[in-house]
Amino acid sequence: MVLIVNEVFDDAEHESPEHPERPGRVQAAMAGVADLHLGEDLVVAPRHSATRAELLRVHAGGYLDELGAYCYGGGGDIDQDTYATYDSWSIATLSAGAGLSVVAELQRRGEGVGFVAARPPGHHALKDRAMGFCLLNNVAVTAAALVNQGERVAIIDWDVHHGNGTQQIFWDEPNVLYASMHQWPLFPGSGAASEVGGRSALGATINVPLPEGATGDATRRALDEVIAPAVDAFGPTWVLVSAGFDAHRLDPMADLCLSDADYGDLAARVSRFVDGPGRLAFFLEGGYEFGALRASVASTLSAVLDAGFSGEPRSNGGPGYEQINRVKTQRLAAIESWTREYEKEGQS
Amino acid sequence: MNQVTSIAVGFDGSVESETALRWAAGMAHESGASLTVVHASGILERLGSAFDPDVVPEAVESIMAQEGIDPSRYHWVIEEGDACSALLACASPPVNAQVLVVGSRGHGKRPGTMIGSVSLEVVQHAKVPVVVVPGS
Ligand SMILES: [Zn+2]
Repeated sequence: MVLIVNEVFDDAEHESPEHPERPGRVQAAMAGVADLHLGEDLVVAPRHSATRAELLRVHAGGYLDELGAYCYGGGGDIDQDTYATYDSWSIATLSAGAGLSVVAELQRRGEGVGFVAARPPGHHALKDRAMGFCLLNNVAVTAAALVNQGERVAIIDWDVHHGNGTQQIFWDEPNVLYASMHQWPLFPGSGAASEVGGRSALGATINVPLPEGATGDATRRALDEVIAPAVDAFGPTWVLVSAGFDAHRLDPMADLCLSDADYGDLAARVSRFVDGPGRLAFFLEGGYEFGALRASVASTLSAVLDAGFSGEPRSNGGPGYEQINRVKTQRLAAIESWTREYEKEGQS
Repeated sequence: MNQVTSIAVGFDGSVESETALRWAAGMAHESGASLTVVHASGILERLGSAFDPDVVPEAVESIMAQEGIDPSRYHWVIEEGDACSALLACASPPVNAQVLVVGSRGHGKRPGTMIGSVSLEVVQHAKVPVVVVPGS
């Protein structure tokens, strides 16, 4: 099978001293791709910046104006976590466009798997605010473009942090399912099991919070027992993965304990959500330990390409496995309670 | 005007946020309201490369003592997340702040623009009155 990649490799000017979201992350991820020795099965998609019209599907115009002006005014710290430089606007719009060109290439071929190796990451970026290292919401820009073409998109987010930006953008969008598993409590603080989507998309937001120390078995169970049934009921025509690799046990950013093999397991499961060939793409989100990032990318893509990568063994035995039952209960209770609430509103 | 019984103030460890904290302490002192000091921890704080969360309680304690606010009259919360969301959340239960207080600029470098300005963000989204305290 073909792997379509789009690598935003001229990202060196988006950096801040000692900041972990730094140049080198894309190279580490692409080293993981190189480890698969795909030869002619590795295809590089053309590069283009996302247009204003493409960005406006998910971001407020005023925010885009401000962000562009802020960058070209020299940039600086946006908040305690997030920075921009003079070049960040052009790099962020290239990153937001990278997914669009990968999807276009997959559509042209009607086969293959996509991988978007771009930074800054996107899943914390809100409609009108940069946050959590993220300026523009890359995966959301691509999902919104697909919805605009009449597709139904499932976004599976396995970054260790909750993708609050993606959740906010599609909260009430019935053609997008957003499912996240993440450490909790942890930045950004959102992502409780009771967050299930807005009135027009009730149940199409799925959150599985996991405790510190959770291992691969808990994530497998989360996918199989909470996320998969919701995805099946939703019936996506496309699957996009917010693939952060900061839940790896070696990553300094958080305290989940996944191994690189666990990512392969998750990827294999997610690939079964897809309706047909050429309708699956992975987007780099977090992942700050270069060795773990490289191996986890290789494991993820190998699982869907059948490329025979073997890394460390899968992980088991951490806390969180039993907690999945509580997640199911809380999620169902929230959906029922909102359903009753909306019925009441409808009657009055 | 309704009696103010609950005030929330953002504190990120910056000089500007300390000025805001002192102003909020003064308002609490005069009105008899309780004071909630909100610190948003962000992502980086965990890495120890940014503001140290252990410093927050100590800094708040010493400022409150200087402002003559009894420990029973204030409490601090450290929220996982960003400063804007954390402060806005204080307008809802359980804190139910009737006034939000924020420094004119914290970590953001560009006063007067949306980007990088927690104060403008809070003003734009808040459902209760917001006091923006200028830096000294
Ligand atoms: Zn992350």
